[in-house]
Amino acid sequence: MIEVEALRKTFRGGRGLNGFSLHLESNELVGLVGPNGAGKTTLIKILATLQPADSGTAVISGHDVFTAPFAVRSRVGYLPDVPGLYQDMRIGEFIEFFADAFRLNEPRRSAAIRRALERSGLADRAGDFVEHLSLGWKQRLLLAKTLLHEPMLLLLDEPATGLDPLARIALREQLKQLHAEGIAILISSHILSDLEDICTRIVFIADGKNVHEAEPSSYAVGAALATVRCEIQFDGSLDAVDRVLAATPAARVLEKKAGELLVELPGATKEASAFLQSLLAAGITVIHFDARGPGLEERYRRAFGAPQP
Amino acid sequence: MSRFVTNPMILKELRQRLRERRSWLLPTLYLLVLSGTVLFAYYVSVDEQLHQGQREVQGADIGLAIFLTAVFTQIILLLLMAPVFSAGAITIEKEQRTLAGLLTSLLTAPQIWWGKFVAALLFLLLLLSSALPLLAISFAFGGVEPMQLVRATASTVLVLASISAIGLWCSANFRRSVHSTAVCYAIVLALSIVTAVVFGILVANWSSHADAVGLGGPPAYVQAPLFLNPLYPLLSMLDDAEFQRFVYPTSSWMLFTGIGCLAAAFAMRRLQRSGEQL
Repeated sequence: MIEVEALRKTFRGGRGLNGFSLHLESNELVGLVGPNGAGKTTLIKILATLQPADSGTAVISGHDVFTAPFAVRSRVGYLPDVPGLYQDMRIGEFIEFFADAFRLNEPRRSAAIRRALERSGLADRAGDFVEHLSLGWKQRLLLAKTLLHEPMLLLLDEPATGLDPLARIALREQLKQLHAEGIAILISSHILSDLEDICTRIVFIADGKNVHEAEPSSYAVGAALATVRCEIQFDGSLDAVDRVLAATPAARVLEKKAGELLVELPGATKEASAFLQSLLAAGITVIHFDARGPGLEERYRRAFGAPQP
Repeated sequence: MSRFVTNPMILKELRQRLRERRSWLLPTLYLLVLSGTVLFAYYVSVDEQLHQGQREVQGADIGLAIFLTAVFTQIILLLLMAPVFSAGAITIEKEQRTLAGLLTSLLTAPQIWWGKFVAALLFLLLLLSSALPLLAISFAFGGVEPMQLVRATASTVLVLASISAIGLWCSANFRRSVHSTAVCYAIVLALSIVTAVVFGILVANWSSHADAVGLGGPPAYVQAPLFLNPLYPLLSMLDDAEFQRFVYPTSSWMLFTGIGCLAAAFAMRRLQRSGEQL
C-alpha cells in the first residue's frame, strides 16, 4: 500500500525527513510515534501530496506521490493535525461539497453522502450548521468527509488531539471498524495507550529517521530492546525459586515474595518459555504465568530516552 | 471545460458569501451612496444651468451629468470593494485551516482559483447590475446613448475582473487576510493615484514645449502611465469634450487583461505550492 524509500525533506529550520523509509501493507493499522519535530507530520503531508520531498521515493498503491498526485488523492483520505471546517455551512452542504470535490457521480454520490451522514451519526442533523457541533462531533464529521470517496488508505495526523475521553474512545472504535473493513491506516499520535490498543504495528521516528519498529503486545521486538516481563504465581519454596534464578543470570528480579515473582528476561517468547520450564523442572508448582513484552510507553522511553527531570 | 462550469467551489463560495451580513449590508450602502451622488449631480447640474442665466434647463446636459457622475462614482466604489471580496478569498481558507482539505481533494488549483474568482466577480456584478436602474435615469433626460452605458459597464467589468485577479494573487501569497487586503489596496491606490501623478508630471513636461501644445491631446507616450489607471478606459469612451483627448482605450483594456491573466497564472502557481505553507 505504502512504499516509502529514503525520503528526505529539509526545511530552513532544519527539521524534516532524513532518509526515512516505511512499508505498509493493505491490512495494516500502523502507528507513527516520535517526539515533536521528528518528522511525522512532514511524512504524512508528503504522502497526502501536500508537500514535495527533496529526494527519495513514495509510492501509494502503485502510484508515485510526486508524479501522480491525483491518482494518489483518489485513493487516500487525509485528516490533518489541525483540521478546519466551514463553520458557516450546513452539515449536509459540507458533505455534498466534498462529494463534488471528489468528483463522485450519481448514484455513487448520493450513496456516499448518505453513508457519510450515517457513519458520523449526523443524519438527523444534516440541516444544522457545522459551528453548532461539539469538537467530538466535528471530528466525526471530518472523518466521515475523509471517507467519502472510499479511500484505500487513511492518513491521520494526531486525530485525537483535543478530544474528550468519550470522543477518543469513539474514534478508536471507529478506526478499529475501518481497519476491519479493510482500510489501511497510518496514524500519528502522542497518545500511546490509544495506539497500543488499535495498531497492528508501531513505527518509531526521530530526527526524520527510522528508530525502531516493533509489534505491540507481542514479544517479537527488535533485538536491542527485546525483553519480556514474567509475572508468576507459584506454590513452593523461595529457595527453589532462588536456585532457578541463580541458574538464569540474565533474569532481573523486579519483585519477589512468597508465592509471587516478577522478573524481566532478555529475549522474547522462547526465553520466557525456557524460564517456565526451569521453574517446573525445579519442582515448583506454577499457578499463573503471564509473560508480556514491554508496553508501548516503556518501548517509547527506551527508544527516545526518559525525559530529563 | 465543463468542470469549470460545474465547479463545486462556485456554489460553495456563493453560498458562504450570501450568508454573510455584508451580503445585504454592502449593496444597501452602495445603492444609498450612488443614489445620493446621482441626486447631488442632478441638483448641481440644474443649479449650474440656472446660474448661467439659461431660461430653460437642457435635459441632455442633466442626463450626461448624471451618467458621468454615476459611472465614475460606481467604479470608485467598486474599486474600494473589490479587494474585500478577492484578497481574503484564499487566506480565509488558510486561516480556517480548510485549504488542506481542498488541496487533497480532486479539485485542481485552477478550479479552486476559478471558483474564488467567479464568486468574487459575481458579487461585484450583483452590485453593478443593481445600480443599472440608477444609471438608466439619465436616459429619461437624454444626452446619453444606451451603447455608452453598455460600453461603460463592460469596461468596468473588465477592470474589476483584473483587480479581483490581483486580489486573489495577493491572497495566494499571504497567510493573513489583513496583510493580503492591505497589499491589494496599496496596488489599487498605486494604479489609481500614482499613475495619475506620473501622467500629470509628463503632461506638464510635454506642455512646457511650446511647439507641442495645439497638436490636440497629449501623445500616447505621455498618456501611457494612465493606461494602468482603472478610470482611463471610461475617460476615453465618454463623448464629453474634456475626455476626447484620451483616445487609447484598447491599450488600457489589453493592459488590464494582461495584468489579470498574469495575476491569475501566478496565483494558481502559488496555490499549487501552498501545501508547504500549511
